[in-house]
Amino acid sequence: MITLSHYLTLSAVLFSISIVGIFINRKNMILLLMCIELMLLAVNFNFIAFSRYLDDTAGQVFVFFILTVAAAETAIGLAILVVLFRTRHSISVSKMSSMKG
Amino acid sequence: MLQTDVLNYGIAAAEIALAVGVCLVLVVDLFVRDKDRDITYLLSLAVLAVTAWLVAPIGMNGREVTFYGSFVVDPMSRVLKLFSLLTVAVVFLYSRKYLKERDLYKGEFFLLSLFALLGVFVLISANSLLTAFLGLELMSLSLYAMVAFNRDSPKAAEAAMKYFVLGAIASGVLLYGMSIIYGVTGSLQFDEIATSLAAGQSNYLSVLLGLAFILVGVAFKLGAVPFHMWLPDVYEGAPTSVTLFIATVPKLAGFAMAVRLLVEAMAPVAADWQSMMIVLALLSLGVGNIVAIAQTNIKRMLAYSTIAHVGFILIGFIAGSPMGLAASLFYSIIYVLMSAAAFGCIILLGTKEAEADQLDSFKGLNERSPWLAVMMLLVMASMIGIPPFAGFYAKWAVLSAIVERGEIWIAIVAVLFSVIGAFYYLRVIRMMYFDPPKRVSTDSDELVPIVAGFDVKLVFSLNALALLALGIFPNQLLALCTAAFM
Amino acid sequence: MAEQIIFYAFSCLLIIAALGVVVSRNPINAVMSLVLCFVTSAAIWLLLEAEFLAMILVLVYVGAVMVLFVFVVMMQDIESATLSARFAPNVWPGLVVGAISLAELLVVVWVRREGLPIAAVPEPHPADYSNTLELGKILYTQYVYAFELAAFLLLLAIVAAIVLTMRERPGLKKQNISQQVSVRKEDRVRVVKMEPESDA
Repeated sequence: MITLSHYLTLSAVLFSISIVGIFINRKNMILLLMCIELMLLAVNFNFIAFSRYLDDTAGQVFVFFILTVAAAETAIGLAILVVLFRTRHSISVSKMSSMKG
Repeated sequence: MLQTDVLNYGIAAAEIALAVGVCLVLVVDLFVRDKDRDITYLLSLAVLAVTAWLVAPIGMNGREVTFYGSFVVDPMSRVLKLFSLLTVAVVFLYSRKYLKERDLYKGEFFLLSLFALLGVFVLISANSLLTAFLGLELMSLSLYAMVAFNRDSPKAAEAAMKYFVLGAIASGVLLYGMSIIYGVTGSLQFDEIATSLAAGQSNYLSVLLGLAFILVGVAFKLGAVPFHMWLPDVYEGAPTSVTLFIATVPKLAGFAMAVRLLVEAMAPVAADWQSMMIVLALLSLGVGNIVAIAQTNIKRMLAYSTIAHVGFILIGFIAGSPMGLAASLFYSIIYVLMSAAAFGCIILLGTKEAEADQLDSFKGLNERSPWLAVMMLLVMASMIGIPPFAGFYAKWAVLSAIVERGEIWIAIVAVLFSVIGAFYYLRVIRMMYFDPPKRVSTDSDELVPIVAGFDVKLVFSLNALALLALGIFPNQLLALCTAAFM
Repeated sequence: MAEQIIFYAFSCLLIIAALGVVVSRNPINAVMSLVLCFVTSAAIWLLLEAEFLAMILVLVYVGAVMVLFVFVVMMQDIESATLSARFAPNVWPGLVVGAISLAELLVVVWVRREGLPIAAVPEPHPADYSNTLELGKILYTQYVYAFELAAFLLLLAIVAAIVLTMRERPGLKKQNISQQVSVRKEDRVRVVKMEPESDA
């Protein structure tokens, strides 16, 4: 029998993978953005599982809006990435060192 | 208790007007030529004025809810909205000179600011997890774009990218917390969440986990240590008028977010988030005040000073009483005024060739312009918290609230760190009065002139004098803040 | 039984794909792994009877957002992105933080299973139940405010993306179509009267 805990565990695993990804991919912006997508996917899993087991559609509506916002966020993030690339011809975070302190 | 009108558009009039205004600015700006950009500027100010006129009477008479419980107005939302409108207007007045000098005087700045303000409004009036999230994102996404708005500056693009990545991670963590809270309470609405938590049927451990995640999100948006990493870089890298915006209005939104999410929805577990917040507040006070001393860039210095001020704002939440929250609100408003004045002065002294973002730019300001030096002195004295300036009353109100709760040691630590913090504000004052000013060249006696229109100087003077006036007559504003939490 | 097989199969696939996103050395492989993540997630969402969202995830996410990712990855040169050291000098802090967060989340999930009143598996919806209809009904009534806000968010994304990336290069030569079209014969052709020339 698949219970709520199964889905929550899956979501927890996804969330942790995305955290690890953020830590080990600190150097590449595009990969960081992908890890953030993964994190949002974990959140969506939580909402949908709760929505199903509470028999309440509000959770699904929330996911609908998270998907919308994530799309807008990705668009802006990639736009900033393009600006960054144009101004310094590199998207590697390790080369970002003009500000310290 | 609640007057739940299903759809009552009247109380959302301000948001609707602002939304229409955003569209209006967007369309009108398309048809405006570069040399007539003042039309966009004036139109944006007009939108703010109309919105203020609509906001003023809404929410005076207690709490009202609409849009199926996802939107709320109360006295607090009224105060916060009025002050955020005022602040944005002040930001626009300061920014015109800065943007014009740098060929950035475009409609986009005003448009994105208004978008961010709409997000701030939504966040202030949020009554469900969903609206709080949407408001927060509307605000944050506009801010990310504003930071990168000067497309030729590699520094700004870098700051925007850091801000974006860290902000998006914080949003993800916040959302994870929201999903857990939704799961254990079965509702998205703040009042229903509070009722469900008070009933005590939900698993305590899960609530605690959700709470911790939400607190991380709130702390990030406010810029509390250890979630402050973005703040100094963004303050330094962004164009100064954008820094001015980020340093002011979003702080009011952050305050509202903390009140709605923690004080209203999580009231039954207040003891838990307050003990987590003590750590955040003390770390912020410590790191903010100590690291600020080491800065030579004044924008970075003010960023760390912001972190320290956020520590004070959080202390009001730790006190938890209506008096503590009122003190926090008062502190936030005064902080926003001080911060606007400080960044306003940086804009005022800057020129196209040289930003006045180094501490050295303030050297000998007294010789260059005695009046401006006095005004900056007022701002710095208020930031330190010397009576009779407004900053003193703000600190006093917060500290007396925490002492009343019996946590005297927090008050003592806060005062100690404030004394340490006084050092770097005093250094600015010393530079203004006792250091020789910069000359045009080494052998000439001519001082570097201050290139600023009368309007910017007037706004700056009024802003600084307001800090003195609010210090001498704080009761009006204090009463307004107290009434917000009755 | 079939439900369990589907759940475990797709969960394993999802976790492997997620790991692929995190560790793959080539950004394109990472994007493709993420696409696989979304597709398998959609399948699991179908198990949870969230049909509409599963569809949206595939159509909008895989169809549009991931394509955007591919565009940006292709815009930058992949060689340098791949060859430059992908991983931070020290991988261990990340692994430790990840392990701790996973442990915490699992403790919460499994400890609270006992206390949850909602642990029972809900009855499946009847065959004529329409998930899309149900969502639509509340989206345009109960959540109309959020819906309008989402519209503004998308407008903001459009404006911001254009503000950040559109650029007018100085000295760029381009046609002014309206000027070209509205040109009249008199502007271009001049009829010159000339005296006839003669050798005489």
